[in-house]
Amino acid sequence: MNESPIVAAHDLVRVFGEGDAAVRAVDGVTIDFPEGAFTAIMGPSGSGKSTLMHMLAGLDRPTSGTVTIDGTDLSTLDDADLTELRRDRVGFVFQFFNLLPVLTADENILLPLSLAGRDPDNKLHDRLVEAVGLEDRLTHRPSELSGGQQQRVAVARALMSQPSVVFADEPTGNLDSKASEGILDLLRRAVDEFGQTVVMVTHEAYAAAIADRVLVLVDGRVVNDETPESTEHVHDLMNQAAA
Amino acid sequence: MTSLALRNLGARKLRSFLTALAILLGVMMVAGTYVLTDTIEQSFDKIFAESNEGVDAVVTSKQAVETDDNTEPPIDAGVLDRVREVDGVSIAEGNIGDPQVAIIDKEGERIGGGGAPTFAISASTSDAARERFDPLTYVEGGPPEAKDQVTIDKAAAEKGDFSLGDQVTLAGKTEARQYTLVGIATLGDVENFGGASLALLTLPEAQRITGKQGQFDQITVAAEEGVDQETLAKNIGAALPPTAEVETGEEDTESSQEDIGEFINILKTALLVFAGVSLFVAAFLIFNTFSITVAQRTREFAMLRTLGANRRQIITSVVVEAFAIGLGASVLGLLAGIGFAPVIGLLFDAIEIGLPKEGTVVETRTIVVALVLGTGLAVLAALIPAVRATRVSPVTGLREGAVLETSAGRRRRGVFGIALTALGGVVMALALFGALTPGEAWVGVGAATVFIGVALLSPRLVRPMASVVGRPLEATRGVAGRLARENTTRNPGRTATTAAALMIGLALVSFVTVFAAGLKGSIDDAIDEGITADLLLSNTDNFSDIPALAAEEVKDVPGVESSSPYRYTQAQVEGADGTSYLSLIDPATVSDIFDFDWREGSAETASDLGPTDAFVDEGWADDNDIGVGDSFAVTTPSGKELEYAVTGTFKDNTDFFGDYVASGQDAAAYGEADNVTNVFITLADDADGDAVRGEIEDVVDTAFPTAKVQNREELKDAIGSQLNQLLGVVYALLGLAVIVSLFGIVNTLALSIYERTRELGLLRAVGMSRRQVRRIIRYEAVITALIGAVLGLILGILFAILVSRPLADEGFVLKFPVATLLVLLVLAAIAGVLAAIGPARRASRLDVLKALAYE
Repeated sequence: MNESPIVAAHDLVRVFGEGDAAVRAVDGVTIDFPEGAFTAIMGPSGSGKSTLMHMLAGLDRPTSGTVTIDGTDLSTLDDADLTELRRDRVGFVFQFFNLLPVLTADENILLPLSLAGRDPDNKLHDRLVEAVGLEDRLTHRPSELSGGQQQRVAVARALMSQPSVVFADEPTGNLDSKASEGILDLLRRAVDEFGQTVVMVTHEAYAAAIADRVLVLVDGRVVNDETPESTEHVHDLMNQAAA
Repeated sequence: MTSLALRNLGARKLRSFLTALAILLGVMMVAGTYVLTDTIEQSFDKIFAESNEGVDAVVTSKQAVETDDNTEPPIDAGVLDRVREVDGVSIAEGNIGDPQVAIIDKEGERIGGGGAPTFAISASTSDAARERFDPLTYVEGGPPEAKDQVTIDKAAAEKGDFSLGDQVTLAGKTEARQYTLVGIATLGDVENFGGASLALLTLPEAQRITGKQGQFDQITVAAEEGVDQETLAKNIGAALPPTAEVETGEEDTESSQEDIGEFINILKTALLVFAGVSLFVAAFLIFNTFSITVAQRTREFAMLRTLGANRRQIITSVVVEAFAIGLGASVLGLLAGIGFAPVIGLLFDAIEIGLPKEGTVVETRTIVVALVLGTGLAVLAALIPAVRATRVSPVTGLREGAVLETSAGRRRRGVFGIALTALGGVVMALALFGALTPGEAWVGVGAATVFIGVALLSPRLVRPMASVVGRPLEATRGVAGRLARENTTRNPGRTATTAAALMIGLALVSFVTVFAAGLKGSIDDAIDEGITADLLLSNTDNFSDIPALAAEEVKDVPGVESSSPYRYTQAQVEGADGTSYLSLIDPATVSDIFDFDWREGSAETASDLGPTDAFVDEGWADDNDIGVGDSFAVTTPSGKELEYAVTGTFKDNTDFFGDYVASGQDAAAYGEADNVTNVFITLADDADGDAVRGEIEDVVDTAFPTAKVQNREELKDAIGSQLNQLLGVVYALLGLAVIVSLFGIVNTLALSIYERTRELGLLRAVGMSRRQVRRIIRYEAVITALIGAVLGLILGILFAILVSRPLADEGFVLKFPVATLLVLLVLAAIAGVLAAIGPARRASRLDVLKALAYE
């Protein structure tokens, strides 16, 4: 494992609104994500976990504090640079609406590369397609795929550009348990077989349990940072946080 | 959620605004047309009423032939003595009022540029007559009292920078002469005759300069005290020779007003046609907007229906929305039209049709038509989408992504589209070949039907066309091009309707472009093949006559081989429909200047043409069953009866010569003794062309300032630039329809961007730059615009081919101005880029997180 973290946040604060109505969604988070680790961020709704992820991924700017991805301080980037960083060094898997309906599965997988005008790494492409098990679905449009298949395409897309880090925001939130299992397995393999760094926001204990590390957020602060042993363990962590 | 609702409202505000703008522009054009033409008509009415004040009866000669300029031939001076004898006549005065003169300014240019006429008017011959009839107010000086004096109108004096005592040159049917300016006048309180000018001369001088010695244009009569206009007119009528007629003063004013009313009606109709095109395009836009928004609201409607709203209530709610937008836009359009009227007026000034425009006339009719048309159109265009939306059952509607149209419905639409397109084509063809009358109106109906048919059909064309148009973009621009192409085919109906709106404008633009190019090319061919003269003289306004004397004077210039007078005029041929145009030539010199395309006959037929011989246009001869050896009878505009024996037939390419060609020896019988249309000149073989031309120009510039010298190329150029001027006006008028259709593109883009908010958010999240987002939207607009443009070009060219078919007999040859048509395509693409600016900016500025609808 590398010494320097691939993603680092220092004293992150995000305030929504002004004056009396101001809400500190993220309130002083300092945290490192080492390379090749699978981290789950948990917390009750309104705990600020999504807001934290948005800032870590360069989708939102912190009110104060800094985020560093692969040595780059995001606060020094303008919108165009941030976009480029997301394109080249960050992979995304969202809960809903991950794919462009007008593109085929394969075109969706290659989208970030196409946007960058880069040629795909064919070997990686073949390995990924095989890993997500979509060899015979590549020319299908998203509307012709099941929810689980769509999400697997999204994971493949996130991995295709070999990003520094993959952020997954409730990637199983919209799936049945069998499909969820498939996606979680895929993310796990991304870490184990492809050496990816994955940060996943979830509120489901069984999902968090497959991670190497679980962060629990409450009221915008990290209240727990542990290695999950089992689903039950994660449940306990959550219950502690709620108490 | 609040921000989403706000965005929703924002999108609706924009949508309503753009829809309203489309209606507004169409209504503006309609209202502007009415206001402008009503204003012109009222100004003319005022001028006629002013100038006829104090006139109880008017005697003119009878119009023997209905000619284009609609003027009566002059009346014999002897009639005045008869009128003076009539009971109840207090004053009778013979007048000249002839529009064929010119005031020449100090630089030698004619005042008014030839767009509006200059009238030579005779001054009253007695103080009593002046007091009773003279409509002029003398701002400075007074009327002329000697033959070398003139009084001109204030506007002309200002334009020419003339002041009392200056020498003013007047050109008429004789050599130009100088006069001393003794007065500056206005017509009552009318200051603007729409560019027309007045030159008041003593009666004998007015008769001389207009070639009407011993004649009057009209006799005005004042009644004695206690004699009413009708009695006076009846008394005079009894004393008149059969060639003359009398009208009461009121009747005369009215008939003048009617004559000009007819002319203004033609203008009004033409302008309304263009306004109609804009409104037609606007209707497409409204239809499309409501289709899209109603589709977006399907779930809302379905929910309302499950809550117990019936179909009628839903339809009513959509229609009420359309009504509100339509009414609001119509009111604004009406106001804008009142302001826009003078702008339309500028178009006439551009092609040098001078018309008086005083004040602003807003008739009730204008208000009613504008409001009813704009509102009605909005409601009508919204009705179909509303009915379609409510046809979906509530349960289906509630499901996400409910589809409003079935594939069967789409197929029906396609079949219907083909049927309408075919029907429209047939109607156009029938109208063009005379089976449906009035032809112009039916051609229009046919064209509109074709447009609707193709619009219905075009959703099927969108996918293949987007492939063709989008492929290069995809190849060079990668994923942005690919996404743009896919987006345009995502909802083919929507893209098709948007493109169809642009198609209409471009079809008409390319139609007139192709047609005008054909016309120009055909005229050029006819000139190259038919005219062998080296030079010609024509009026500087390109259509009026010039003095016949010019032919004589030019003949004496050394180096001139022959100088041949040519007259183009009208007459009524017995048994033929309508009046005939005809040419009067000089047989002795005609072989030097023209090369006729003989069918029967030869150059000798023309050079041996006797005073009672004529050779005729082949097509006209066939239509009227006339052949060589036959004879036909003619009534000339001055009422003379002539009989011609046919000695030959020729093919008259582009209708240059008219129906028949006769000898100019009888020009007097046509009232054309003193003037000619052109003088064609050939130079001696050994002459120095430039030098001779220079000498001819010297003669023309001093003696005949209304004439100019041209060679064949210059003639072609002059015709070309006249055509281009006209084309420019037509382009400007069609431009409005194109602008309306661009709003359609903006509207459709804005609405589909709104629909695709989340998608755009995703693209931005995974690394699409703002510039790439803008590019997608821009390419979508370009693809849509190009689909419309290509369809439009194809239709325009087909229309031009169709419309020119019946003209093929007259030597009309279609030419395809490929470069211009390509420019149109490029302009359409640029227009697409422009239309995309706003929506693209909006799309690229979406907040990524909000777009992903997280919060």
